[in-house]
Amino acid sequence: MGKKLSINPVTRLEGHGKIEIFLDDQGDVEDAYFQVTELRGFERFCIGRPVEEMPRIVPNICGVCPTPHNMASTKAVDKVYGVEPTITAKLIRQLQYNAFYVEDHFIHFFFLAAPDFVVGPDANPGERNILGVIQKVGMEIAGKVIEVRKRCRDILRLLGSKAPHPEGGLPGGVSRGISEEERAIIKETADYAVEFSKFALQLFKNVVVRNPKYLDLVLDDAYNLNTYYMGMVDDNKCVNFYDGNLRVVNPEGKERALFDPQFYTDHIAEWVEPWTYIRLTYLKVLGWQGLKEGFGSSLYRVGPLARLNASKGMATPEAQAEYEEMYAVLGNKPAHHTLAFHWARLIEALQAAEDMQRIAGDPLLTSKDIRNMNLRLTKKGVGCVEAARGTLIHHYETDDRGLLTKANLIVATQHNAAPICLSVKKAAKAFIKGGEAKEGLLNMVEMAFRAYDPCLGCATHTLPGKMPLEIVLRDREGNVVDRIGRDV
Amino acid sequence: MASHKILVLGLGNTILGDDGVGIRVVREMRRLWAGDPSVELVEASLGGMVLLDLITGFDKVIVVDAIMAEDRKPAGFVYDLSLDDLGALVVPYASHALDLKTTIELGRRLGYKMPATVAIHAVKIEENTLFTEELSPTVAAVVPLLAKRIIQDLDGPHS
Repeated sequence: MGKKLSINPVTRLEGHGKIEIFLDDQGDVEDAYFQVTELRGFERFCIGRPVEEMPRIVPNICGVCPTPHNMASTKAVDKVYGVEPTITAKLIRQLQYNAFYVEDHFIHFFFLAAPDFVVGPDANPGERNILGVIQKVGMEIAGKVIEVRKRCRDILRLLGSKAPHPEGGLPGGVSRGISEEERAIIKETADYAVEFSKFALQLFKNVVVRNPKYLDLVLDDAYNLNTYYMGMVDDNKCVNFYDGNLRVVNPEGKERALFDPQFYTDHIAEWVEPWTYIRLTYLKVLGWQGLKEGFGSSLYRVGPLARLNASKGMATPEAQAEYEEMYAVLGNKPAHHTLAFHWARLIEALQAAEDMQRIAGDPLLTSKDIRNMNLRLTKKGVGCVEAARGTLIHHYETDDRGLLTKANLIVATQHNAAPICLSVKKAAKAFIKGGEAKEGLLNMVEMAFRAYDPCLGCATHTLPGKMPLEIVLRDREGNVVDRIGRDV
Repeated sequence: MASHKILVLGLGNTILGDDGVGIRVVREMRRLWAGDPSVELVEASLGGMVLLDLITGFDKVIVVDAIMAEDRKPAGFVYDLSLDDLGALVVPYASHALDLKTTIELGRRLGYKMPATVAIHAVKIEENTLFTEELSPTVAAVVPLLAKRIIQDLDGPHS
């Protein structure tokens, strides 16, 4: 019987995250674990603060995606004050959110996915990055990526006053309205975003889907993981990023739960494992079943592919057509192919862009009725949105003066942490054999990780002084066999 | 040199204790200094591509940030670094992981005006995972000293 190894997380992570891969006596992969830096004391930091301060504070949780935190927080404060935002306020909030989605999804695709699929997973690491992508696709396309990003950021700046750290999240509404002149600019940006989204999807299909080698990679069992899926849906059970119920489907696609996010604690529970600081989540009704997939698992995934899997379709027509094409190629719904997160991400960007067009055309967008002031302190609120990476929950409770007594967050990377371990393990088992872990092989493992685009301690801005993500290979006794250099 | 534009960029997260030292230094500069029309002071809790927006158009960028380093220097030690002292994250593991060096190279390739000079003042810290708005005493003591040093450099001949 081999030696049982326990990993002590007390040793501080040097960077933001770590993947530890354990090899058996033959040098094949036995297990893999994913650790993240723990940010401590959030609740204690928040307690005693006026709850309406939270939308201003929480964007600091993530320096790259502050908008989802601001939005979830604002919605939680709506609930704490028992107030429903006006129709115009909701339109403006959704506009802001869609603009963020378009920008964020494209940055992910062109910076993370494209290097592997456009430049190639076997290419020299020095080329497998955004600079290599530009080299391959040309400056014109690169310029379009930057342009769509700039236009969306201009909208965020318009609506949030201090892009990208949004301000202006108020209970019951928003802090500024939209003029007719601004509507015209928004429409122009929305049209540009729709056209670029369609172009990006076509690029993906040409480069990946129509390339048998890459399609085989997407469909490869190394990147297949059978889990439950969770995502936010509207009244028609179509994908919605801003508001709705949370829907959970099982690995065969049958609806397992449909619930108001206010009752998330009835459906989602947290589990503590000794080898990671992150509290893993699982479906409460099934109980913690460990790190396993398929039948008997209680794990679920969130994020782009999960949202599409958990829904009955997209909410906009062109995105719906792309959704149908994707599932026809992948062969099943739900699709369990982790690399298809990249495809789903582009379809979501198209929906966000189409929805911007819808909002730009809504007569109520320029109404002056931007705030509902019927505030009534209820002392509890849960705000839930679909952050780009997955479901984001902010839960606040207050005393009779509206000062916080409790604050709990569940972020997307937390929902996906256990599945990330499994995805990394499966990819590692497929590509690391006999103790051999060449750079190219390790990149194949990292591709499983990058598909989730996890958020690892990006609240910190400290220059790391060492690698922000470390991959460590250990033998059966826990001795380090190799470390993967991602020096900064 | 009226046309010489300089950005002093304080990076950090002011709710994660010493991680926010860069922003604190810039705030101290605002408090102590009358300013200069060719110098812009910016505080930012940002990462990734957004840095590109901030640094475009400047001739020189002075970055003030926290750093964790495995050497024997004490907390509060100020490293004066250039871009070459920072490695480049060649293959980012996530879109949150884009570093300053790659961002600047990206900007250059896209034809944006990137700073010809980047100077980095990195303050060594030991803890950045605890939510607090307070700096540790050792790091807090460095803030006025570093702010004054940067002001003195700016008031001298511009490079």
